[in-house]
Amino acid sequence: MQERYAYYPGCLASLSQKELDSSTRAIAKKLEIELIEMPSVTCCGAGDIHEAKPDYYLHISARILGQAEQSGCDTILTICNVCTLNLRQANMALQADAAVLNRVNDNLKEVGAATYQGGVDVRHLLWEVSAGEGYDRFKSIAVKSLEGLKVAPFYGCQILRPAKILGFENSDRPESLERLIMACGAEPIDYPAKVKCCGFPIVLAREDVALGELVQPLEQAIDAGADVIVTPCPLCHLSLDAWQRKAAAYSGRELGIPILHLAQLLGAAAGIEESELKFKRHVTRLSPSVKAKLQVPSVVGTKV
Amino acid sequence: MIRHDVIVLGAGLAGMRAAIEAKRAGVDVAIISKLHPTRSHSGAAEGGINAALGNATEDSPESHAYDTVKGSDYLGDQDAIEVMCREAPDDIYELEHMGAIFTRASDGKLAQRPFGAAGAPRTVYSADITGHVLIHVLYEQLIKYDIKVYEEFFATKVVVDEGRCAGVIAWDTQKGGLHAIEANHVILATGGVGRMYYGTTNAFACTGDGMSLAWNAGVPLKDMEFMQFHPTTLKSNGVLITEGCRGEGGYLRNKDGERFMVHDAPNAMELASRDVVSRAEWREIADGRGVDGCVMLDLTHLGWKKLKSRLPGSRELAMDYAGVDPIEQPIPVRPGAHYQMGGVDCDIWGETMVPGLWAAGEVACVSVHGANRLGGNSLMETIVFGRRAGQAAAERVFEQGDTGARIEPAALADEDRRIAAILNNSEGERPGVLREELAKTMYDKAGVYRTGEALLECQEKVHDLRERAKTLSLDDHSSVFNTDLTTALELLSLLECADCLVTSAVARKESRGAHSRLDFTTRNDDQWLKHSLNWNDGGEVRLDYRPVTITKHQPLARSY
Amino acid sequence: MAAIENAHFTTLKGAYDTETMEATVKVRRYNPETGKSRFDTFTVTIPVTATVLDALDAIKDTCDGTLSYRKSCRMSVCGSCGMRVDGGAALACKVPMRKFVEAGHTITVSPMGNLPVIKDLVVDMAPFWDKIRAVKPFLDTKNADTPAKEWRIDPADTALIHKESLCILCGCCVSECNSMEADPEFLGPAALAKAYRFVGDARDKDTRERLRDLSGAHGIWDCTRCYFCNQRCPKGVDPRDAIAKLGAESFKEGFTSDPGAKHAKVFVDSTYKGGFLRETELVPKTIGPANAIKDIPFALQLARAGKVPNPLSPHKAKDNDEVKRLWKLLEKEAKGQPRRATAVHPDAVQEG
Repeated sequence: MQERYAYYPGCLASLSQKELDSSTRAIAKKLEIELIEMPSVTCCGAGDIHEAKPDYYLHISARILGQAEQSGCDTILTICNVCTLNLRQANMALQADAAVLNRVNDNLKEVGAATYQGGVDVRHLLWEVSAGEGYDRFKSIAVKSLEGLKVAPFYGCQILRPAKILGFENSDRPESLERLIMACGAEPIDYPAKVKCCGFPIVLAREDVALGELVQPLEQAIDAGADVIVTPCPLCHLSLDAWQRKAAAYSGRELGIPILHLAQLLGAAAGIEESELKFKRHVTRLSPSVKAKLQVPSVVGTKV
Repeated sequence: MIRHDVIVLGAGLAGMRAAIEAKRAGVDVAIISKLHPTRSHSGAAEGGINAALGNATEDSPESHAYDTVKGSDYLGDQDAIEVMCREAPDDIYELEHMGAIFTRASDGKLAQRPFGAAGAPRTVYSADITGHVLIHVLYEQLIKYDIKVYEEFFATKVVVDEGRCAGVIAWDTQKGGLHAIEANHVILATGGVGRMYYGTTNAFACTGDGMSLAWNAGVPLKDMEFMQFHPTTLKSNGVLITEGCRGEGGYLRNKDGERFMVHDAPNAMELASRDVVSRAEWREIADGRGVDGCVMLDLTHLGWKKLKSRLPGSRELAMDYAGVDPIEQPIPVRPGAHYQMGGVDCDIWGETMVPGLWAAGEVACVSVHGANRLGGNSLMETIVFGRRAGQAAAERVFEQGDTGARIEPAALADEDRRIAAILNNSEGERPGVLREELAKTMYDKAGVYRTGEALLECQEKVHDLRERAKTLSLDDHSSVFNTDLTTALELLSLLECADCLVTSAVARKESRGAHSRLDFTTRNDDQWLKHSLNWNDGGEVRLDYRPVTITKHQPLARSY
Repeated sequence: MAAIENAHFTTLKGAYDTETMEATVKVRRYNPETGKSRFDTFTVTIPVTATVLDALDAIKDTCDGTLSYRKSCRMSVCGSCGMRVDGGAALACKVPMRKFVEAGHTITVSPMGNLPVIKDLVVDMAPFWDKIRAVKPFLDTKNADTPAKEWRIDPADTALIHKESLCILCGCCVSECNSMEADPEFLGPAALAKAYRFVGDARDKDTRERLRDLSGAHGIWDCTRCYFCNQRCPKGVDPRDAIAKLGAESFKEGFTSDPGAKHAKVFVDSTYKGGFLRETELVPKTIGPANAIKDIPFALQLARAGKVPNPLSPHKAKDNDEVKRLWKLLEKEAKGQPRRATAVHPDAVQEG
């Protein structure tokens, strides 16, 4: 774990998933790591721009990497699976081929943007706190034991696959979330769909297909006895949380399982307050018993 | 009763090419294959396909033919070789027009690489996956021409009615059950028979089924004693490590670290022809200078950069199947059975002695390879002679109409009884036991080097195995996807082909091409410049001979 | 030729010596006659270099001849032996057993997913082949004047479809495709990679029609980007990347009416306007205003949780003019280039 990171919250944490941004900032403060702002960064390109306009995607990602480099950081901290994959993939393409990097830099220079020398790594918060020194540091701030809380980890796709771009852990049998759930004093729940897709990328364009994917982790986690699901990705979160009622209608059964951002779970164990974790910004509300197990201070009366 | 004008057995390169040509000619053609077409072993071919395009340097079909005749140790029929070499360029252009993704030179033409014993860079290729690229382009054409494929159907009999081909009886592996599929014309394109050897580059499917079908239909197998051995195959599973490793500068060493090729080919060294290198390796191992039955292919001095950039496929195979990373350790290799030069006797249009029964590709012996095949000629043979067989069979359909040959219900009933007897039997030995005994016997006694004594022992053993195989014990008596049954049927084919091979090898008292006898070390043109023919005589092999067709090139001593 | 000393042949010394190990394998069985499934566990002695396929062969030869699976080349080129090893699709002939034995781990072998099981590890590939057929998997030069010799193609242009040309049609990608699980009609990763092999081919002239068909229902915009296909492919084809390339090509051709394409377009336009995604524009612009109105109750749920950002003051990145200039520069550059690789008729080439 570094002392300072170029912080890249991505689009959703600045918009519908503001609770992820505030939770991340709060946990970073507790971990005593400095998050350097990059005020002119844009969207990473996501899968969508990557697919529609691959060259444009490569350039805007290079611009983000360049800004991180110019801020004096050698690592970008991400809190979204999609940002992690897309920035890493662009980074690999730029680092692997000097001709590609030179062409992109020429274009960036021409429009007056920051160029990129190839010296930045992109890492997700999950990776930084689930292993090595970062894990020890988190253990030391996890002062509250969330005993009795059964947590189903949901990894999502783009923090695991393709492993040749991500490669932090075994993509079929990941353990990082489980390790952190246990570090929080909670109990990890196992179920097959934890490494599968939440359906988010096509939830608008192909709602039925997406819901067919989404119901799997929701049903399996509930059937395995989970109180909550935790995910490192705000897109998975949106799908699991906001589309949960549609998933219930699709599957024809009651669901109603709260979804936590990774930073919220870590924050709860670190004793961070509701005003920063902002559970009220979830569509699927926390039940009183889950609230009690999360032991978050001043749950009542907090401004959203 | 199912009926087509033409049935093609096998869906590798030769079979698919034949079917496409017949379909284009306008006849009703269908393919019967025990494998899905893209699973065929043609797809494993690495190096390339020969045609005198002259893209790299000046070249001509005549030069290609000369190299092929000389390479065959003068046993190849020169009329057939001339046909192949003359027609090869247009066939290559046609494959390109179909969509084959060949490697290109900087001018955008097809690139051509040099290959062993070729007078010019003549081999068109697609990196080291030429067979893969071709099998897929022909499969694409099968779809384009909407050609019916009886997929995972195992042909058990070619039916001959009053001397004419009447069709095929085949077992539906997916659903179970025998079917009579009538056709006046059947083109055999079932590939080779490498699985009779313990060390072989061939797929599990290469069990000589078509050779056995033809032999049992009364067609002789020709020149079966000529089995080509490839010098660098993995001990664990026989997988081929390409000649490119030696082309890039790899060494062959014995257990003392000596580059033993210095004794056999002091100039060409490791790049001497396949038969020469295989024999040198066999000698090293037999004389106690091997390592666990292998010699060592040493690539460690090439450096990791070269290995990763030029030979990534070979490195992966060595790591997957020998457990060694060639960057750090030499790869244990040994000769393995690679290609059957002999096969079903047929003419330059692929027709056999049974009217309406044709053959093309490795199953056939036209013969273009004679006693030794040149690298890059086998793929070309499949395309040229596959096309010709498809064309000729279709023409015959138009000329003759229905020949009247039929599969009588009694023939189907007989075959049903034979298959049922195998399927339901639980007495005797397991097919796997016999297969392993056969493969070891052949590898030990009818391998790279042969002697009269060892060959006779081998023959006796093969006869013993054929006797024991009359009752095979099956565990699986069910009908759906019964691979225990197909394994047993394949074993019967292997045994018949092995009997033909060893019988003609015992008789051929000379050394020519791949048939290398320690008791008759030289080529003897006076007595042995002739094709061996193995006939089925009541289940026993009967030998006969036929002269070689010589047009332009009189036999000379073969030296490189 | 050097003389051979050992003229009498028996077995070559060491020819059949192999170091062996004992391996335990759990196999999913399915009997089509009874319709019943079960797991069987076998222990066999196999060479240390053995693969999962070798272990299955040892089981079939020595324990239970009724075990059924497909195999042929045993060198990862024919594509017959796709099956799941510990839940992940792989070629059985490419997975070494040694690491499992050394770890004391009993592997579980089961049939591939997303395809009906026929018996034990054998699946019915018919739906797979039907989808390959559905993408018109053959070159179409649209009756272009066929040259007497080969088409001329720049080597760099053949490289465009190199990865897709490696596909062996084994089905490992399809086995775990998350979209296909939810929509069995989805063309899927193998067929789409095959489709790109023609879209990207310099000789093919059917590009527009291909892209029009592929960008419709059950086509490229069905892909949920789970990346299981790239992860499982034993040949490095990276089918998901091929699907992305098809998306980019269909954008070039102007096929942007599918909701999936519209969704992507919102991302592109948003970054141009303000650097970030405009979430509030995503719903109406993807599914159309009429459908968006039907979804108002859903939108209200989100709004109550504060999940609907204010559309009147969207989140904007600083210095976004740089991005606008970048967009214009790249669009101009793309206009100056040929839309795709083209083969040249040999008669049109001036030999120098």
